[in-house]
Amino acid sequence: MEFNIDDLPVLFPYPRIYPEQYAYMCDLKKTLDSGGHCVLEMPSGTGKTITLLSLIVAYQQYYPEHRKLIYCSRTMSEVEKALVELKGLMKFRAERLGREEDFRGLGLTSRKNLCLHPSVKREKSGNLVDARCRSLTAGFIRDKKEKGEDVETCIYHDNLDSLEPHNLVPNGVWSFNSLLQYGEQHKQCPYFTARRMMQFCNVIIYSYHYLLDPKIAERVSKDLSKDCIVVFDEAHNIDNVCIESLSTDITEDSLRRATRGVQNLENRINEMRDSDEQKLKDEYEKLVEGLRGADEARQEDAFMSNPVLPDDLLKEAVPGNIRRAEHFVGFLRRFIEYLKTRMKVRQVISETPESFLAHLKEYTFIEKKPLRFCAERLTSLIRTLELTNIEDQRPLQEVATFATLVATYEKGFLLILEPYESDTAEVPNPVLHFTCLDAAIAIKPVFERFSSVVITSGTISPLEMYPKMLGFTAVVQESYSMSLTRRSFLPMIITRGSDQASISTSFQVRNEPGVVRNYGNLLTEFARITPDGMVVFFPSYLYMESIISMWQGMGVLDEVWKYKLILVETPDAQETSMALQTYRTACCKGRGAVMLCVARGKVSEGIDFDHQYGRTVICIGVPFQYTESRILKARLEFLRETYRIRENDFLSFDAMRHAAQCLGRVLRGKDDYGVMVLADRRFERKRAQLPKWISQRLLDSEAGLSTDMAVGSARRFFKTIAQPFADDEGVSIWGIDQLRAHQEKMAGEQILELQAQAQQNAMAAQVAAAAHEERPDSDYEMDEEGEAEMMALGV
Amino acid sequence: MSRKAAMGGARQPVGGATTTTTTTSTISTEDMCPVCKTIRYLNKDMEFLINPECYHSMCSNCVNRLFNDGPNQCPYAGCNKTLRRKGFRSAFFGDLGVEREVDIRRRVAAVFNQGEDDFETTTDYNNYLQMVEDLTFDLVFGTDRKRQEAEATLQRWEAEHTAQIEQNRRQGREADEMARRRLRAEKDAARLRRIEAVREAEEEKRERALTREAELDSIAQAPEGQGSSRVQLKRRGLAAAAGVNSAAPVATAAATDVGKLSIRGLKEKKKAVVHEGPYDPFGGLDFTPSRYRLGPDLKHQRIEDLRATMRYNPGGFRFEDWTAQLMFEAFAGLGVFVEDEKEVGIGLEAGRVASIGAGIAAVGDRMELD
Repeated sequence: MEFNIDDLPVLFPYPRIYPEQYAYMCDLKKTLDSGGHCVLEMPSGTGKTITLLSLIVAYQQYYPEHRKLIYCSRTMSEVEKALVELKGLMKFRAERLGREEDFRGLGLTSRKNLCLHPSVKREKSGNLVDARCRSLTAGFIRDKKEKGEDVETCIYHDNLDSLEPHNLVPNGVWSFNSLLQYGEQHKQCPYFTARRMMQFCNVIIYSYHYLLDPKIAERVSKDLSKDCIVVFDEAHNIDNVCIESLSTDITEDSLRRATRGVQNLENRINEMRDSDEQKLKDEYEKLVEGLRGADEARQEDAFMSNPVLPDDLLKEAVPGNIRRAEHFVGFLRRFIEYLKTRMKVRQVISETPESFLAHLKEYTFIEKKPLRFCAERLTSLIRTLELTNIEDQRPLQEVATFATLVATYEKGFLLILEPYESDTAEVPNPVLHFTCLDAAIAIKPVFERFSSVVITSGTISPLEMYPKMLGFTAVVQESYSMSLTRRSFLPMIITRGSDQASISTSFQVRNEPGVVRNYGNLLTEFARITPDGMVVFFPSYLYMESIISMWQGMGVLDEVWKYKLILVETPDAQETSMALQTYRTACCKGRGAVMLCVARGKVSEGIDFDHQYGRTVICIGVPFQYTESRILKARLEFLRETYRIRENDFLSFDAMRHAAQCLGRVLRGKDDYGVMVLADRRFERKRAQLPKWISQRLLDSEAGLSTDMAVGSARRFFKTIAQPFADDEGVSIWGIDQLRAHQEKMAGEQILELQAQAQQNAMAAQVAAAAHEERPDSDYEMDEEGEAEMMALGV
Repeated sequence: MSRKAAMGGARQPVGGATTTTTTTSTISTEDMCPVCKTIRYLNKDMEFLINPECYHSMCSNCVNRLFNDGPNQCPYAGCNKTLRRKGFRSAFFGDLGVEREVDIRRRVAAVFNQGEDDFETTTDYNNYLQMVEDLTFDLVFGTDRKRQEAEATLQRWEAEHTAQIEQNRRQGREADEMARRRLRAEKDAARLRRIEAVREAEEEKRERALTREAELDSIAQAPEGQGSSRVQLKRRGLAAAAGVNSAAPVATAAATDVGKLSIRGLKEKKKAVVHEGPYDPFGGLDFTPSRYRLGPDLKHQRIEDLRATMRYNPGGFRFEDWTAQLMFEAFAGLGVFVEDEKEVGIGLEAGRVASIGAGIAAVGDRMELD
């Protein structure tokens, strides 16, 4: 399908288009034109990815700037899916245009997924693959090789050097599999191919950690140009990703390993002093100049700034007392010993970075300034010492990152020391949480660097919360409804059981037998009427376990068992994937199954229950966070004080976005259908916080139901949906003609609007002119004469 | 080489500690006194003390036993230091090497207390920092000769810069005090804000409860039929957990509640809104013209002419009404300033703008009152 939006010709690889897709494109184009950020919410299963890609690719190809697209998604499977979509799109474009465009699209994932080295790729853990890969490919290893020393290197990586650096792969879209195949054929490393080619491709697709996590972003994404279009897909959780990327937990074990790391460094320094003192001297000379003094290539804004390495740090020289390697090692040792001592305290402590620094200075004479340079200084030292097993140094690096952050940010962070795992624990297991409270810190460089950032997801209501929390202003903020020719999903809020007693998972009543029985009743009733698969979400693992055991005692499970297989999600990933597999088999073959999961677990985020895999989703209880957690409390307080977001507002917002995610699991397209049940008294008041596309379809008559009434309407729903139905084009799906008609209509409306406005203006001018003319005699005392004349006029 | 040996010597307790804590089968130095070999199992609250003379740790019982009767020699083999009871204290750091280093640093920092502002360039400051660090390292890990040299430098510097050191120290203290005060003030402010927020939330809650009460109250006070219909409306909206049987229990419950809470002020306000009297389609608007007065009979040649004309005297029509209309239209535009009224006018046609203007003109100042 081919059409124009304003002057931009868009090629859409399907013969038909959804109205919301068209609206989405229009808004996206508006954002790109105006060069700002936007927040867009589009219902799940309406082809968000392809809409985004086809518009942005068209935009790239049409305008001379050829702005690069950085598309960030959450998981590797989503990245792969996007790559496949892009491939299809480019194929379609080539067919339509009759030529291959000069276009390259690449995905990036971890070394583990892209390695070809015969022994390295067999390693189980990703960290090990990284470490071994580095030991084969690091710069100094290759230097040694060149000098003729006998060191092992990776042939796949070495081959890359013989190719043109800007043309490692031909044009086209490379999914991970095709890149692996190409690498195998040409004996070149797919991982480094992708990384080095990032500069030269039109579309990059990767996980958002590559952009948000400062440790990775520094290495991977720092030299992307300023006019890139950045898209965060599935971004409803982006604030948590930001916060996690800057938070660290320090345990006694990690400190112990960090101490060992320091010991290693010291040994290595002594070794090097005996054998190769020149290198240490060189490093010292460089540091005297300044951290990046030698990097003359660095221009004012060549790189993206890094929260761990603020810009002003680069301009300054390293403080004199950590310039020499042995001084720095002593410095690290003192810092780690200090942390160890702090961990011995047996009471909960929460303090600001500032007071931490004051205490630190009093006991160890470590100043704030050298502490700020800690992470960068360590990186430099490791590079100089030519350590290959960086993996061993990871705990030490974590401590160094912590040191830098604690000294850099006075606001937005908090240190919380929890000596015991739980309130009842006897054996101390101290953890020092260094927690980031402000999601804006991690994402700030992204907003500063790139002119257009698009944040989109199926469920990011309420939209205004995100700009507030992430600290940006959006030029377009839009939530699209889902156009449907018939009611294909039925959202309901159940507030009472069949016995009219209200149901809720609030803490006071959640374990009352009446409530548990009512929930059990709900489950059995829906298990009876739902065809195929059914998904049930609980607010937490703890509650799920307790309610399941109570159900077992009440015989609820036996009753459900008559209709469906029962499967349960566990925190273990493998067990869960096994359960999912069984669930799918049962949905395809037998009477179906019930999957009991947790609203914040793996299943609620990444797994789709399309078609027969999910006909009913029940959300038992509002999935609030565990509010007793000290970290959450600190964050709530921060949000209130800094962004004026009230605790309850945030908690409710967070709970509802997870509930919406759960509900969205069953509806993955317009031909899909399902029942969505929110079972808690408290949902009644939170209706407005659901995404627009859900709340719009939630009728007043289907809120505040009791179980038996809900079962009645669900039964009716399943009956109507089973009737034969011809999808009449025009409402929920448009062919090219309908699109044209719509465009014409819109254009017509726009013209009318403009005309009306012009008329308005003209009239206002006229009135103004008239008023102006009359002004001189407005205060005029009229005599009988004038009056008469006026009357004559009236005749 | 000699340096390494010295470092190794200083760190001996460190190495011991790290290896023993990782292997749990052996008793670690943290759990056994190296002097009397008592283990923590036998003495739960065993405490280890050190003396900054030699940094050899021993349990507090040993310290009491050995040094209560005056100075004595350190019980460690090969350590010839004479220790006093008074010098013992518990260590801050687990690693006694670091403890010693920090003690030395304290001494150095007391003497070399220049700040960045005291130097002309950052490079100078950095060189100074490195010099101090080198000196400290010599003091901590250096050979005897180096240590003596460093000690000498330290003393020389102290002697030469007494005045400045004293001044810096004072400044440092002041800065510390300032920082501490600021932290405390911030903490207090945060606490106040927190209290305020809690109070606000409570107030809101109370207010909500109050309005709810008032609503129920007004329902209970209302006449028979009206009250029950409102109850039903209310319940449909709220879908409260209350029973579904009939409206009566709710109403009676509310009525009993009334006795407990006195909210008379609210009630009276509600009553004031109720409007009595005949229905007025204009809502109290007065159409008496303010800019002119219509006399009983308007005298004008033309009017007289028209009055005589048959065309202007149709049946069922008073000629006076027609003149009044004319007058009204004639004055309609006066007192309307287009600049002021532009916002009102947008989206309206010219005729409507005029009539609105006329209304405003006719009503005059009264408009503002409504």
